[in-house]
Amino acid sequence: MNAESRKASTAQSVRFINVGKSYGNVRAVSDVNIAIEPGQFVTLLGPSGCGKSTTLNMIAGLEMPTEGQILIGDRDVTTVKPADRDIAMVFQSYALYPHLTLYENIAFPMRARRRRTPEPEVDNKVRNAARMLGLEAMLSRFPREISGGQRQRVALGRAMVRTPTVYLLDEPLSNLDQQLRVQMRSELKDLHQRLGATMLYVTHDQSEAMTLSDLIVVMSAGRIEQVGTPRQLYDRPANLFVARFLGEPGMNILDGERAADRLVGAGFSLPLPTTIAASEKRLSVGLRPEDIEYDPSGDAPIKGTVRTVEFLGSRSLVRIDVGDALVSAFLPATVELVAGQAVGLRPADTNKTRFFDTQLGLAVEETVQ
Amino acid sequence: MKTGTRIWLVLGCLLAALVALGPIVWAFSTSLKPTNRIFQVPPELIPSVSTLEHYARLISEGVHWAFFNSGLYAVMAVAVALTLGTLAGYALARYPIPGKQLVLVLFVGAMAVPGFAVLLPTQLLFVDMGLYNTYVALPLLYAGHILPFAVWVTRSHFSTIPRELEQAAQIDGYSRLEAVWKVVLPGAKPALLAAATFGFLHSWNDYVTATTMVDTPSLRTLPVALIFFQGFHGRDWGALMAGVIIATIPPVVMFLLFRKYLIGGFADGSVKG
Repeated sequence: MNAESRKASTAQSVRFINVGKSYGNVRAVSDVNIAIEPGQFVTLLGPSGCGKSTTLNMIAGLEMPTEGQILIGDRDVTTVKPADRDIAMVFQSYALYPHLTLYENIAFPMRARRRRTPEPEVDNKVRNAARMLGLEAMLSRFPREISGGQRQRVALGRAMVRTPTVYLLDEPLSNLDQQLRVQMRSELKDLHQRLGATMLYVTHDQSEAMTLSDLIVVMSAGRIEQVGTPRQLYDRPANLFVARFLGEPGMNILDGERAADRLVGAGFSLPLPTTIAASEKRLSVGLRPEDIEYDPSGDAPIKGTVRTVEFLGSRSLVRIDVGDALVSAFLPATVELVAGQAVGLRPADTNKTRFFDTQLGLAVEETVQ
Repeated sequence: MKTGTRIWLVLGCLLAALVALGPIVWAFSTSLKPTNRIFQVPPELIPSVSTLEHYARLISEGVHWAFFNSGLYAVMAVAVALTLGTLAGYALARYPIPGKQLVLVLFVGAMAVPGFAVLLPTQLLFVDMGLYNTYVALPLLYAGHILPFAVWVTRSHFSTIPRELEQAAQIDGYSRLEAVWKVVLPGAKPALLAAATFGFLHSWNDYVTATTMVDTPSLRTLPVALIFFQGFHGRDWGALMAGVIIATIPPVVMFLLFRKYLIGGFADGSVKG
């Protein structure tokens, strides 16, 4: 058995069962239920203060849940100390030990009393990790003497040498500049594939979540909004929060009322799918900016006035006032529009149009038939 | 910087160095002169005839034991104060203690109370407790003097050490105590050395508490022992200066060893937290 398959074999499942966390009267996390398969890359995604880091800290044992259970594999670790959970964590600040060299930093977990490793093996593992991460030449340096990207790699190295059951990564790329972030993102993806490890990643950056994850858990105000693959979340948001949160810009939402077989609102009139119950009176329609087309005909289903045009090369991002809503649409750059101009629009693909109950904020059906 | 400004600055530094080092250099020179040449005119900075007789006299009078006592008391006091101060500083920095601010204000208040004001009550208390004139008396009092400063400095420094470092160590397989020992304390080395040096100097230089709390010659500290060379029938300047030189050695060595940390440590303690 080679080193990498050994690592893969240590990957464990993680399950949250009705987990909640309160600080006094403040409810930080409620009713979290997640099932993560061994070897999956799962991202907790959400805006600041949504409870994603608290959730991660509960798996790490740095925070104790006030209710529910957390299982790693078949083992209930809800009240187990961090040191006994056999997990590794990469912190947003990297948390490298400033008084230790990079070598000592990476070797640190293997020198802990409870998992003391023979020094020749420590040396072997440190050098292997350093080779994999391109840090071989700088092992005698101190953290203050290396760049942000290198620090991030050292933090990863420190996690890798442990062959833990689960890797926890708390916004590890957020302190890097854009270029390095993109590079490290792909390195992280590559590392996950090579290690075959269960990884739980926290971020508020949806592009990181989309590109890295097998599964995304979208959180808001301490609750899970939706769990799914990046494609499921993007194409079929379960509610208005996910619809607006995912995508750059997010999904356009237009509120209207049923009028026979159509949804009619200020500046638009769209056909309603037959699968939506007739009892649904107040509905919102969701359209992705790239699923909107320019409609020069006089009877366009969506009509508005151009507010701004951002030229992006092959296409433009056009912001259009439709009733009280501001609609974003990616239109071909060949469509020349100017601010203040009246414009007609239509859904490019009615299969991608989503409908939501305006009051409950929940999707009312999968797709238009 | 302009050349004129630089010259004034250098002259200022030289003057400061002369004021600070002049007496020490003169004391060293005097300690090496035979008694009959100490007051010769014109005076000599570098003695034409030198002797170690004054140092030998100190040893014959048992001053080396006083030197040992001073060192022992200072080390014991620093060890006790730093151990307790570090624990308290860590707790105040990391745990949600009710009335934390009040506790900190009390520590600062304790630093502001002049030692002389409580000297006599303390002496009476020590007599009652059977601690007067024992090996425990001075280390205990010195530790008490140093403790508020140690708490303040370590607490300030611990507050600047990211909590993630401890958390990372705990996840890496260490208990909280081990994490503090392996990660937090090495990071707090400047603060600990600053507190240790302050505490050592305070204990080493003390005269008033030492004369009040111990009486027996075998328990005396160096400053107290040296006073006996200012006798009724005139001062023994040679022995006194030799004693002064010996007394300056430990603080100077300490400063030279730790000056890198001291400057950083004092700055950290004063501007952060």
